[in-house]
Amino acid sequence: MSEAMSRPSSTPAARKAAGFRFSARHREWIAGYLFVAPDAIGLFVFAGLPMLLALGLGFFTLDGFGGFQFSGLANYRRMFVDPLFLQSLKVTLAYVLMLVPSLYVVGLALALMVQKGSVLNAVIRSMFFLPQMVSLVVVALVWQVLLVDKIGLVPKMTGFLGLGGLSWLGDPDLALVSVVVVSVWFLMGFYMLIFLGGLQDIPREYYEAARMDGAGYFAQLRHITLPLLRPTSFFVLLVSTVAAVAGGQAFDLIYVMTKGGPANSTSLAIYYIYQQAFQYNEYGYAAAMASFLVLLLMAMTLLLFVLTRGGRFNYD
Amino acid sequence: MSNDAMPRITGSANAGSSRFLLPTRRSVLAGGAALIGGAALSAPYVSRAYAAETLKFWQFYAPGGTVGSQVTWFEQMVKSWNDQNEVKVELVYVPNNEYMNGSKLQTAFASGGGPDLFIISPGDFLRYYNGGVLADLTPYIDEAAQKDFPESVIANRKVDGKIYGIPMEVEPMAMYYSIKAFEDAGLNENDVPKTWDQLLEVAKKLTTSDRFGVLFETQPGYYQNFTWYPFMWQGGGDFQTAEGKSAFNSPGTVQALKLWQDAVNSGAAPRKPLGGGGWDVVPNLGSGYCAMQNVGIWAIAALREGAPDFKYGIFKLPQPAGGKYVTVGGGWAFVANARGKQVEAASKFCAWALGSMAPDSIQRVVDWCTVAKSDMPPRQSALEKGAAAFNEGMMKVFSQEIYPGTRAEPRVPPQVYKIISDAIQATQLNGQDPAKVAEQASAQLDGFLAGYSGAPIL
Repeated sequence: MSEAMSRPSSTPAARKAAGFRFSARHREWIAGYLFVAPDAIGLFVFAGLPMLLALGLGFFTLDGFGGFQFSGLANYRRMFVDPLFLQSLKVTLAYVLMLVPSLYVVGLALALMVQKGSVLNAVIRSMFFLPQMVSLVVVALVWQVLLVDKIGLVPKMTGFLGLGGLSWLGDPDLALVSVVVVSVWFLMGFYMLIFLGGLQDIPREYYEAARMDGAGYFAQLRHITLPLLRPTSFFVLLVSTVAAVAGGQAFDLIYVMTKGGPANSTSLAIYYIYQQAFQYNEYGYAAAMASFLVLLLMAMTLLLFVLTRGGRFNYD
Repeated sequence: MSNDAMPRITGSANAGSSRFLLPTRRSVLAGGAALIGGAALSAPYVSRAYAAETLKFWQFYAPGGTVGSQVTWFEQMVKSWNDQNEVKVELVYVPNNEYMNGSKLQTAFASGGGPDLFIISPGDFLRYYNGGVLADLTPYIDEAAQKDFPESVIANRKVDGKIYGIPMEVEPMAMYYSIKAFEDAGLNENDVPKTWDQLLEVAKKLTTSDRFGVLFETQPGYYQNFTWYPFMWQGGGDFQTAEGKSAFNSPGTVQALKLWQDAVNSGAAPRKPLGGGGWDVVPNLGSGYCAMQNVGIWAIAALREGAPDFKYGIFKLPQPAGGKYVTVGGGWAFVANARGKQVEAASKFCAWALGSMAPDSIQRVVDWCTVAKSDMPPRQSALEKGAAAFNEGMMKVFSQEIYPGTRAEPRVPPQVYKIISDAIQATQLNGQDPAKVAEQASAQLDGFLAGYSGAPIL
């Protein structure tokens, strides 16, 4: 906008003469915020406000029927001496340690396998992504049937290896592993797509030059693909870790397949928080644990950002 | 953009007379906002006006239930009430698993809502009573009808002599077995186990590569506790003393924990039941997944409906050496929300449906226990009126052999059943030492009971 246009409204007298009017710069500024407003209001109402309320609830004891009493830090103190909460943190850690690397390896392997554009690869990609189109509850129910002791498809197939007697969802040593396997099966297509996007950003010339220099497949993978995939890898690791700790998909699977059992062996922190709130009416305690979990996640994300200098990667 | 173009865009006076014919962006936005605002503001009044006439009745039987006779019973009851009363009742179906192990009911109350009418089991009575949402139904039940409920049945729905829930049924637990599985294993009805040792021995004989010998509930929750209590009681164990202290650390409790552990460790009992869980008889016993199943009286109706050709027998719970026979009797009860919009109408509905001396009320209980379901009646008059049905076929086994040894399901707050549930899970499925687990659980119980201030735990 020219100076001549803005000058007439720059003095109070002139503004009064012309009627009140925002400058073009202000109008753009207001329009920008109006465009963002629906999203921002939605986020505040459905994410920000509940988070603030949960933070506040952590300082109260609630009976689940409208009664509440201020209890200070009692809920926070309780969580550090609650063996079941501490166990749920261990279960969550084990889940993260099993799920995140598995998802990374499987997602990348699938992406490498189907990255070349052909009709067959397009079909295979769709097949790997197909589980994402199904409700998690359906996924859990189907896997529950496949894993049924003795007569399920999995025990029947593993029976040839002498593993037919295993109880995949009923044995505390195996139940979490089973949940991880189902989670990987469900999520691998999504991460495959992200890796495919990352792979397509790598210039083909690098591979051609490497091949001319005599580099084989694994040398190219090690010296070109993996280093240039670092931003994608960072994204995948961050998102899958947050999802694993927050129990994004795991909650649905556990709710349907194991109910946190057997013997609390699949009781992730998020599931334990749910149980305390919605089954035992300990809303204040659950809110305190949820706040603690959010703090943990924020600390973890911050650490990842510090280690990777804010997600910026230096290829020199 | 020029200076004189700007007023036109904003729909100012310069836009001329066309602004009265064509809506401006601002007027469309303002009109839309007014419309949405008006609709949002009026919605509560519309919904309140509707809600004022209708009592919502949450349960897991109708109209979406799978057992036709139960759906019919509920629908006929509600139709009969609606035909006679101005305040109507509407059935709201919540799937069984969501009702028992989910969070729908609790969440509704926590958010300040909750149905006007709902059903609860003794296992969850204290949660709602202590929360102050159960209406006192005593004023609406005739004195004669109050006496019609045996004290052993109504006691765990009463506090300070007042009735807060009217039971629909009494559901004792027993063992069911597949006649075909017995025959395949070369066994007959004379081999029906009478002791715990025999139970484990027979279960092992019945176990094959495709079938488990015996099934106990393995899913954590108050239903699992309910099914485990009689094994604890049979050996003299309990979870609470008369003085309100923990009694969990006792030989009777330890041996009951060990029985279920041995059943799983021997490979004769599964770690995961099929279908909805251990209460679900058709997908487990009916499908051949197990040869014997620990399940309640309701399984007769479930098998009649879901597996009519399945041949089975029933026997009472085996006893430990030196123990005495006892089983547990659960059952659901109608309750009214004390914070509902029409508490009096809801309370009257409960009393009219199940707690009146009117012939149709008694007949309704008989029909529920014999036609819609297979249960023992919670009322003396219903027991007499339906005598013929209670004394034939499989119901006869219950009424004559199993029911006489029935002890009412304990009512405990959620914190107590979590402690007991964790003890059962740790021993049954995680191989922990029953004695050590009982000791730890007992200490936790003592810690909780010392600070507990709600209605008596029975």
